[in-house]
Amino acid sequence: MELARLARGGDEPAFAEIVRRYSPRVFRVAGRFFRQRERVEEAAQEVFLKAFTELGSFEGRGSFEGWLTRLATNTCLNLVRSAKRRPELTVSNLTEDEGEWLDAQMSGDAVARHESVERGRVAADLAGRVLDTMSADDRLVLTLVDGEELAVKEVAEMTGWSESKVKVQAFRARRRMREAVEKLLGFGG
Amino acid sequence: MREQHIKAILEGAPLASLSEAELETVREHAARCADCGRAFRAARVAAELLRARAAEEFEPSPFFQTRVLAALRARRAEEEAPALRRLWRAAGALAASMAATVALLAGLTFLAPGPGVVTDDAAAAATSEPYSAEAALLGVASAEEMDYEQVLSALYASGEGNE
Repeated sequence: MELARLARGGDEPAFAEIVRRYSPRVFRVAGRFFRQRERVEEAAQEVFLKAFTELGSFEGRGSFEGWLTRLATNTCLNLVRSAKRRPELTVSNLTEDEGEWLDAQMSGDAVARHESVERGRVAADLAGRVLDTMSADDRLVLTLVDGEELAVKEVAEMTGWSESKVKVQAFRARRRMREAVEKLLGFGG
Repeated sequence: MREQHIKAILEGAPLASLSEAELETVREHAARCADCGRAFRAARVAAELLRARAAEEFEPSPFFQTRVLAALRARRAEEEAPALRRLWRAAGALAASMAATVALLAGLTFLAPGPGVVTDDAAAAATSEPYSAEAALLGVASAEEMDYEQVLSALYASGEGNE
């Protein structure tokens, strides 16, 4: 890819064009790991800075977007791994909105469950808080496989993991996520 | 065993990807088994949460590109600064070692006694017996030890030797 070749030689306008063109993609990846906008933007910036120094390792065999997505995934994964994991989320930590959202889910109230923008935001925040208590690997695999419904093969390509590792990680992560939700629903455990 | 089987279905794949037959098996069992019923409800809530989380999107701000380029320049400047500092330190070390060498030589020249340097006794003798041209020419310790005749004959002898 011509832009990558130019940027590798230190051409700043070429690198600026890469940032402009691929920002939405990198933000999408970073958004899987972080909930606050500032953290997403910081992570995306870190990805591009790293991309600039590692452009030499892009050999042009696959697509540049695939290379950058993999770099973004691993950079964000490392950022999450180095951060402290949040303590377990309990019913008493829930906000009023989150409690109401869970009640609506359990009551099977189709009107309440279906889903205003505001309710979607409450659910996304609650999901983020539950995921924050889990490991970086669990968080990633749940978001990609269960949330975005990506194929195991795609996730393996993005992360550099084997397909069997993705499957095993997803299996265990689902159990941990389910157990965390059972506690929030007051099922004990 | 059957409870375990239901949980294995719930954990083996995303809920949304289960076939209708698998879902029917799960529902049927969950209706009879309280433990699996709770697991199924929790799995459904978890799936909803993850779907909501995946639907969230973040757009880059209009200033993001500028911010990245500024950070890139700052990082490059940081990387160059240590190289200059190293060069400056090396030059400083060279100047310091040269100054130390000069100081050492000066110290040796003015302070340390050497074989050709007079001691206190010799210095006292030198003051009492001033240096004279005759003494130097005739190779004797003091001109006062010779009389006039001896000096003349020594000078003539020296002149003949030169011719």
